[in-house]
Amino acid sequence: MRITDRRFAFFLMLPATAFLAVFVAWPLVQFVSDSFFDISKFAGGPRTFVGLANYVEAFTSGDFTNAAWRTVVYTIVVVFLEFVLGLTVALIFTALGNASRVFRTIFLYPLMIAPIVAGLLWRFLLIDNFGIVNQLLTEAHILREPGQIQWLSDPKIALFSVAIPDIWLTTSFISLVLFAGLQNIPGDVIEAARLDGASYPTILFRIIMPLLRPVIAVALILRGIDAARAFDVILIQTNGGPQQSTETMSLLVYRTLVRFGEPGLASAMGTVYLIAMLAVSVTAILLIWRPGNENTR
Amino acid sequence: MNGLETTRISSRAILWVALVLLVVLYGFPFLYMLFTSFKTPLETIAVPPTVLPSTWTIENYASAIGRDGVVPSFINSVVTAVLSTAISLVLALPAAYAVTRYRTRYGRFFIVGALVMRMVPPIVIGVPMIGIFRSLGISDTSFALAIAHATISLPLSIWLMSSFFEAVPEELEEAAKIDGASRLGALWRVVLPVTAGGIAVTAIFAFLASWNEFLFALLLTATRSQTTPIVIANFQTQFGLDWGAMTALAVMYSVPVILLALVLQRHIVAGLTAGAVKG
Repeated sequence: MRITDRRFAFFLMLPATAFLAVFVAWPLVQFVSDSFFDISKFAGGPRTFVGLANYVEAFTSGDFTNAAWRTVVYTIVVVFLEFVLGLTVALIFTALGNASRVFRTIFLYPLMIAPIVAGLLWRFLLIDNFGIVNQLLTEAHILREPGQIQWLSDPKIALFSVAIPDIWLTTSFISLVLFAGLQNIPGDVIEAARLDGASYPTILFRIIMPLLRPVIAVALILRGIDAARAFDVILIQTNGGPQQSTETMSLLVYRTLVRFGEPGLASAMGTVYLIAMLAVSVTAILLIWRPGNENTR
Repeated sequence: MNGLETTRISSRAILWVALVLLVVLYGFPFLYMLFTSFKTPLETIAVPPTVLPSTWTIENYASAIGRDGVVPSFINSVVTAVLSTAISLVLALPAAYAVTRYRTRYGRFFIVGALVMRMVPPIVIGVPMIGIFRSLGISDTSFALAIAHATISLPLSIWLMSSFFEAVPEELEEAAKIDGASRLGALWRVVLPVTAGGIAVTAIFAFLASWNEFLFALLLTATRSQTTPIVIANFQTQFGLDWGAMTALAVMYSVPVILLALVLQRHIVAGLTAGAVKG
């Protein structure tokens, strides 16, 4: 007996489907349903249906809206700086051609390092009194004394400081992806523009960027999703402090759940976070990436 | 040659200088961590700090390895990463193949679903997982953590593998089928060997995703199955701020994956760009 191709394909996808259903979809359903209950922090404790009360509490608490804004700011800072740096490096690699090979290899290494290690390392580098960064800046006469910038303990700048390890770790990803994209741009297009007397900025913004758009879109969307979910890198550096100035959504949900022991409220916050993530990324994908659209390939 | 490559000596010189500066800046944090790990515990917190150790010592390494739970955590990290890589590959290979070769409506739904799952914040599924693993009786085991890690690496593996399968010419399988191979036989004996490089790339990424993961490990492990990232993070609360031992452990944990990168760098670049550039 021979089964049809369609059935055969379905059977091949069945194990993965079952796995994702049990270990991703089912937890998701549970998490969302928890958001409508008031749940005791003790396992097996009482569970009362409270409708949208957790959502009301989330939206009326300053913590929630502040964390949402911080997540947005953090994501934009990380993705923007990574893009600018990553594109610059990719263009330098391309300009140097094959000679840049060794450097491309070196740029791979940060991608191997655990975010927890990167966060820890930068916390060590940025410590106010005995951190090497402030020491070197002082020796270079940029700072008057090492305590002048309190990277991780000044609430005004901490959100930007905690982004540094994230940028340090993953700019390489953007560089290498954009570099690969640049290799696919036909040389004669750029040659022709150059013969027409186009300047480098014109070539960059009028020719390279539009041609690279699908690659740029993929890289930025993937990085944006990761940055918006950042957890360990921030936890290890500041644990959300000082004065909650680095508490993004992941950290807030974690703190509400673990330290305050409010699974219902944490689930409501997490559900809004989840919906926002899905809405933003799906919109971004449909607008700029357009997977499967032949024109962008 | 790409039209963007510059041949003028003066601009090449400037670009070289810029690139070297950038690499020095980029590499400095890691080198500083390496140097710090060889300082004496007292010198790691000296004011003002120095870049190089005044006396080189492996004291920090000895004290890091000697700590309770450090060696078992290394074993846990390896076991978890290997298990979760295996789970991801076993599930992803047939699924990705079906998506690219048969192009059914369910296949399209499946691949979009896998992409959507990549956007779910881990904290959202990590919490209910605690209860699921408890009811399965596998709480605080490397197997449970490997399953959790596979929820991250499986969508990625499906995505990567479909771009590698796409590159296999259909004629190859047709020829095998004419020779009497079944569909499964053609996949096993013809397609998988041809995509061995791609499978290696996917395995590396699945391994890395598990090796470096923190949040699931934090939520799902207690003492028995704790991985090294958790131990590194715990150094600061349990033992005060022992920067020397912490940097030594961080270096030890990074060395295996850096060696992996050194050996497999070509494959890693291929994997990074496969999803994005062809996607």
